[in-house]
Amino acid sequence: MLFQLNFKSGKAVYLQLVDQVKLAAAAGTLRTGEPLPSIRPLAEQLRVNRNTVAKAYAELESQGVIETVAGKGCFLRAAGSPFRKDVRRRLLGETMDGAVVHAHHLQIDKEEFLRIAEERFDTLEHKRIRAGNV
Amino acid sequence: MSDNILAIETIGLVRRYGRTDAVNGLNLRVRPGRCYGFFGRNGAGKTTTIKCLLNLLRPTSGEARVFGLDPAKNEVAVKSRIAYVPDHVAFYPWMTVRQTLDYFASFRPRWNEQTEASLLERFQLDPRQKTTHLSKGQRTQLGLIAAICPDPELLVLDEPTSGLDPIVRREFIQTVIGAYQEGDPGRRTVFVSTHLISEFEGLIDEFTIIDRGREVLTLDADAARDRYRKIYARFAAVPAALDIGGSRVLRRDARELEIVVNGNAADVIDRLRVHAPETLEVEALSLEEIFVSTLHPAGAVA
Repeated sequence: MLFQLNFKSGKAVYLQLVDQVKLAAAAGTLRTGEPLPSIRPLAEQLRVNRNTVAKAYAELESQGVIETVAGKGCFLRAAGSPFRKDVRRRLLGETMDGAVVHAHHLQIDKEEFLRIAEERFDTLEHKRIRAGNV
Repeated sequence: MSDNILAIETIGLVRRYGRTDAVNGLNLRVRPGRCYGFFGRNGAGKTTTIKCLLNLLRPTSGEARVFGLDPAKNEVAVKSRIAYVPDHVAFYPWMTVRQTLDYFASFRPRWNEQTEASLLERFQLDPRQKTTHLSKGQRTQLGLIAAICPDPELLVLDEPTSGLDPIVRREFIQTVIGAYQEGDPGRRTVFVSTHLISEFEGLIDEFTIIDRGREVLTLDADAARDRYRKIYARFAAVPAALDIGGSRVLRRDARELEIVVNGNAADVIDRLRVHAPETLEVEALSLEEIFVSTLHPAGAVA
């Protein structure tokens, strides 16, 4: 199964789905123009409320990750954020603040932090290459 | 139907059996379009509450409202818009599956034949089979078909999956998600009473935990999973004077402390860190774990 939910992660279920679609897109498992599963079968498969899937898809659409074609369903869009570069930098910065604080509490210094960041980038890129979607 | 009319509302609901208060001042507010979990241990008052909503029991005091109506005074208006699956489903034994569904359909203004056909197929129920020859799982499946086909605005499920095998349970929940919610989602409300919480976890938007006839906790499911954390700490020796900010202690002995925090995890972690724990682990809780920790008898721990 492409998506796995964890009710013990402390994270809202619809946001888990949002993150996993974004991860699948970044890793090339989901390709541009590829349709996402429609709401009912995905909800049944994951055994979650349809509202949860609908909310996740609405969030993905507002972030510009997917687009809805009336009567046809949801499709992955080409990577491209609707935000300006400075806004994008700020959004990413906010996420990274969390990771930096986390690193501090785990006694991971800047150098090691950057090394880990590089590793994670490489892993994702390898996945993309394996998925044949460079 | 306007959105501000609640699908279910109880105001100070009390139902007494002899000297026992089965339901003791219960307040519930279920908005339309929600999937609402009603969690409690056996004997907590779940079924009694549901029976008051269905006018199978009269409240001793307080009020029960369904779609804003008193179910005792507007019995037909209420019942024509709801469907109910109890934990023990009974049918007339001389009827076949087909006759049973026709019988149920005869009471209903609407009957979705497409849904009926697809669910009979999905559950592989033989319409010619006599209902006496159905297994418990098949009887529940038939009860669910009878409940969903009228396209009710409110589906009330009382311990629907207890005593069923895991495959039937899974299909049951998938059917509620798929076939029932398929229609107009804003007008498809589910009210499910259960203690098998983990099975329904993904379905639940909001829930109430009831104990001894009283509401103990009502929360949005995502908010609950966000707020509750279990913290495990191991010390050289658990400090005698330890301020844990009102957290619930699950276990405490000479070296270990296990607590559940509600909303102030970061603060409690800081307080514990002051005492230099050897180990400090934090984990989020599922709804079932929140249920257990909420009803955990506090006296059982030191």
